[in-house]
Amino acid sequence: MKWRKSKIINKQNTPFVNQELKAEKNDLTIAVAGNPNSGKSTLINAIAGSRLQVGNWPGVTVEKKSASFDFQGRKITLVDLPGTYSMSPYTQEEVIARDYLVREKPDVIINVVDATNLERNLYFSLQLLELGIPLVMALNMHDEAAGKGFRIDEEKMASILGCAVIPTVATKGEGIGRLMETAVAFADASEAHRPVVISYGDDIEKAALAIEKSLKDHPDILAGHLPLRWMALKMIEGDARAIENYKAGQYAAVAENATRHLRSAHGEDLEALMADTRYGLAAGLTREALQKPEKRKRELTERIDAVILNRYAGIPIFLLAMWLMFKLTFDIAGPFTDWLDGVIGGPLSRWAEVFLTAISAPEWITSLVMEGIIAGVGAVLVFLPPIFAMMFFITLLEASGYMARAAFVMDRMMHAIGLHGKSFIPLLLGFGCNVPAVYATRTLENQRDKALTALLIPLMSCGARLPVYVIFTGVFFAAYAGTVLWSLYILGIVLAVLMGLLFKKTLFRGEAPVFIMELPPYRMPTAKNLMIHTWEKGKHYLIKAGTWILAISVFVWFGLNMPWGVESKKDSYLGKTGQIIAPVFAPLGFGTWEAASSLLTGVVAKEIVVSTMSEVYVPETGEEQQEESPSLGEDFKEIAVSFAGAFGEAGKNVFSTFGIATMSAEEEEGTTGLKTAIAKVFTPLSAYAFMAFVLLYLPCFIVLVAMRDEFGTWKWAGVTIIYQSVLAWVVAFIIYQGGSLIGL
Amino acid sequence: MTLADLKTGKSGIIVKINVSGALKRRLMDMGVVTGTDVIVEKVAPLGDPIEVRIKSYALSLRLGEARQIEVEEIKNHK
Repeated sequence: MKWRKSKIINKQNTPFVNQELKAEKNDLTIAVAGNPNSGKSTLINAIAGSRLQVGNWPGVTVEKKSASFDFQGRKITLVDLPGTYSMSPYTQEEVIARDYLVREKPDVIINVVDATNLERNLYFSLQLLELGIPLVMALNMHDEAAGKGFRIDEEKMASILGCAVIPTVATKGEGIGRLMETAVAFADASEAHRPVVISYGDDIEKAALAIEKSLKDHPDILAGHLPLRWMALKMIEGDARAIENYKAGQYAAVAENATRHLRSAHGEDLEALMADTRYGLAAGLTREALQKPEKRKRELTERIDAVILNRYAGIPIFLLAMWLMFKLTFDIAGPFTDWLDGVIGGPLSRWAEVFLTAISAPEWITSLVMEGIIAGVGAVLVFLPPIFAMMFFITLLEASGYMARAAFVMDRMMHAIGLHGKSFIPLLLGFGCNVPAVYATRTLENQRDKALTALLIPLMSCGARLPVYVIFTGVFFAAYAGTVLWSLYILGIVLAVLMGLLFKKTLFRGEAPVFIMELPPYRMPTAKNLMIHTWEKGKHYLIKAGTWILAISVFVWFGLNMPWGVESKKDSYLGKTGQIIAPVFAPLGFGTWEAASSLLTGVVAKEIVVSTMSEVYVPETGEEQQEESPSLGEDFKEIAVSFAGAFGEAGKNVFSTFGIATMSAEEEEGTTGLKTAIAKVFTPLSAYAFMAFVLLYLPCFIVLVAMRDEFGTWKWAGVTIIYQSVLAWVVAFIIYQGGSLIGL
Repeated sequence: MTLADLKTGKSGIIVKINVSGALKRRLMDMGVVTGTDVIVEKVAPLGDPIEVRIKSYALSLRLGEARQIEVEEIKNHK
């Protein structure tokens, strides 16, 4: 495509630019837009840092980052738009970015452009310029471009595009001050800095003018929302979503008429024609402004990929990386989880008890506070360390560029069961704990992929189910415990594959997301970015999920302890419910109220199945021993010492990760009584059916809350509840009845 | 021939894209437009997807999509 300067014309009478004649607005809104991998989030962090607020875009689960602060005496609102390749949106993120720009009309756009990947980034910049909003371009990763021998003529770019071009290095904070100053100056003088208008050639221009004329009565345009020309061009492109979203359907006939000539001259695909024009311009501009060295060097990224994506070494390297990530996530988090557990169960509970006794609170209040509220707080907090650790490693993988490679390596396998290459990591994390795994699905861009992955995560047997298996295998399968344990993990994986195929054909029929993914160059993540992302996720979990978890914990306490004063658990609401539902489990081989009640409490956390069983089968073990209460000072000392101990433990675990992995399941103490009891009630066959049931039935409610939190709706949690209940019952039924038939 | 038939290390010019709708739009937005040079860099260890270099960046796509992209091989590539 020939580069003709005449393709960009300065139209001074663009109708939609800043009608208000305000010399200076005190409040300015600055939107930050750019391609994924352009360093946009690092740049935002460099500008706003800790002032960033993280929320969600209204009605959707896409993260929205914004910051309000004073700059040169002005009140600035900075809005980070999701990474976008085009103003013809494909992903939900891109729809949000476009809608924001069109509807909210920020005062200035900061367009973050990857200087090492100019052409494709400029393709998007050109589309931004078409909105007629003053634009300041942050020519980011300028240092990296210079390192490759690129020479970019910023002034030439600025003069051709009619915007400001500021070189920046977001990771080092270079150019950030100038960028902000220019952005504010541009907002003030928006009349003077009018971006260029792209000309698409006489034919399209004529059609656009004709549509513009009729669009003048469009209500949104009168309200100053929609850029007239922009909308006309979208109608020529046939952008169905834009036409629907901006209610331009009534002008369909006008567009049809105006483009009739076009279509007969250029064929039906006007969209391709316009994309070609834009890419032609982007290519031309790149040629004008960018000088590359004669010979392209083999880049570091290519040399790394030659090893990492190697035909033979690719998969072993990937598996090694995954194993390390998995081990480190849970090994680093583990000691801190134990520490939190200890502090809440120990000193915190003791203080609460002392306080409650002092104010002579009724016994049921004490029980509610201790076993409902404090236990609930504990349930919230113990997941914080693995969520922090998971988010840290996910961010590390994404920011370094390896995440895209992981998806590239795994896609074929995952695609076979209707998933995306990126689904592998959340599923893998599920073996440690389903809760951070659900949060890890955020790495998937497509909502369908994300939901399907989240639905399959609970089939990955998490660490909390292990204590149940350990007790039962210890009693019934001591001789070949390892094999039995592994068979359960494999059962979960096999069922995940089958359910994936089933969901692909039912719930997710039709929409087949494609895999068209950029493999960004490897880059060194900055510590600041890692910290900010990790911290944000943890904070978000605490506030959003924490509230739900606490509420449900209190509800569970009611079930366990009400009516108040019952002698036996059998008479509590829980026990009664257990008695009612027990017959449902009869065909599975464990139709007792004890088993049913234990399974019910397992929804709080699967390992609780064991402790409930201890209470219902062997009531006397529930008695608490009276201990000498330590003093307040001793308590604080204990908290501090055990916290330091947790650090030491975590550090030790990091080293031992590189040594020999041991999959040791800790056996709970004092389970001898329970073991004798279940040996009487269960047979090996019903025990295996029970373990399979524990593996497959509802995940703990924290997982369900995490799903609600991540998707902004209870829908997928609901689907999980239904399908898993049915699946668990059917599988346990097949195991028990099938086994009985063949005489096991 | 299609992009899926292009051997690793070989390059071609995109001549036609045989898909329509949102998928075509996305391919074009990612730089897969007619007249553009494309070079096949790698095939994933399991044989699918592939990595191509286009518009000076690395793009990965599945063979299913690559089969819809017609290319003309550039012989004597330096």
